Amino acid sequence: MRRHRKPCQVCELGSRVVDYKDERLLSRFLTERGKIIPARLSGMCARHQRQLSRAIKRARHIALLPFIRGYNR
Amino acid sequence: MTREYELVYIFDSTLEEAPINERLERFHELLKCPESSEPISGINHWGRRTLAYDIDGKDVGYYVVVQFETRPDLLGELERALKLDEAVLRYLVVLNEGLKPVTAAVSEEAEPATAESTDGDAVKSESTTDGEAVQSESTTDGEAAQVAPTEPAASEEEKE
Repeated sequence: MRRHRKPCQVCELGSRVVDYKDERLLSRFLTERGKIIPARLSGMCARHQRQLSRAIKRARHIALLPFIRGYNR
Repeated sequence: MTREYELVYIFDSTLEEAPINERLERFHELLKCPESSEPISGINHWGRRTLAYDIDGKDVGYYVVVQFETRPDLLGELERALKLDEAVLRYLVVLNEGLKPVTAAVSEEAEPATAESTDGDAVKSESTTDGEAVQSESTTDGEAAQVAPTEPAASEEEKE
C-alpha cells in the first residue's frame, strides 16, 4: 500500500527560498546529532531539499549549526 | 559586469567595535570598482554570538553580515586579505539570492523601492518578498517554531 506523502514544510510556509542564516528553520531538518534528514523522511520537495542541504552546509561553515551535535572533545 | 554578493564575517570576539569597523572599511575599500563606486548596500552587525563549535579554540564570535555589489575578479584580492587577517576567524562569500537578512527587519521598510529598481526582473523581486515573509514568520511565531521540531523526529520513528 502506498503511504500518504507529507507536504513540503517550506512550501507550506509560502516560501520559494531557504536562507542559510535562519538556523531556527534549518535545525528543524536535522537529527539530534546534526545530520541532514533525507527528503524521503522529511517530505521535502526536491527543490527545497536541494536548497536546504546547501543552506545547512553554509550554516555549518559559519558555525551557526554544528557539524556534529554533542561533540565536545 | 557586477554581481551581488553576501559576505559573513566572524571576527575574534575580544576585539572592540572600533577595530572591527576599521577592518571592515579596509576590506570594503578593496571592492570599489568603476562600475559601482558605492559597493556596500547593507551592513548588519549581529554582534557576539556563541559558535556552534570551537574555531581556533574560541567559542564566541562577532558576526557581521554585508551585502555588496562588485566585479567577480575583485573577490580574489578580498579573500586574500581576509585569510591574512588573524582577527577574522571565518568568512563566507556567497551570491546574494535576493534575500534580506533576518535581523534587517527594521531597515526593510525603507528599502523595497531601491531593491526593486536594482533587481529589474520580476522573479527576483518576488523571491525577495517571499524571503521576508518566511523570516518575519519564523521570528514572530516563536511558539509555532517550537511545536514544529517534533515533525522530523516523528518521521524518523516512522522508519523503524
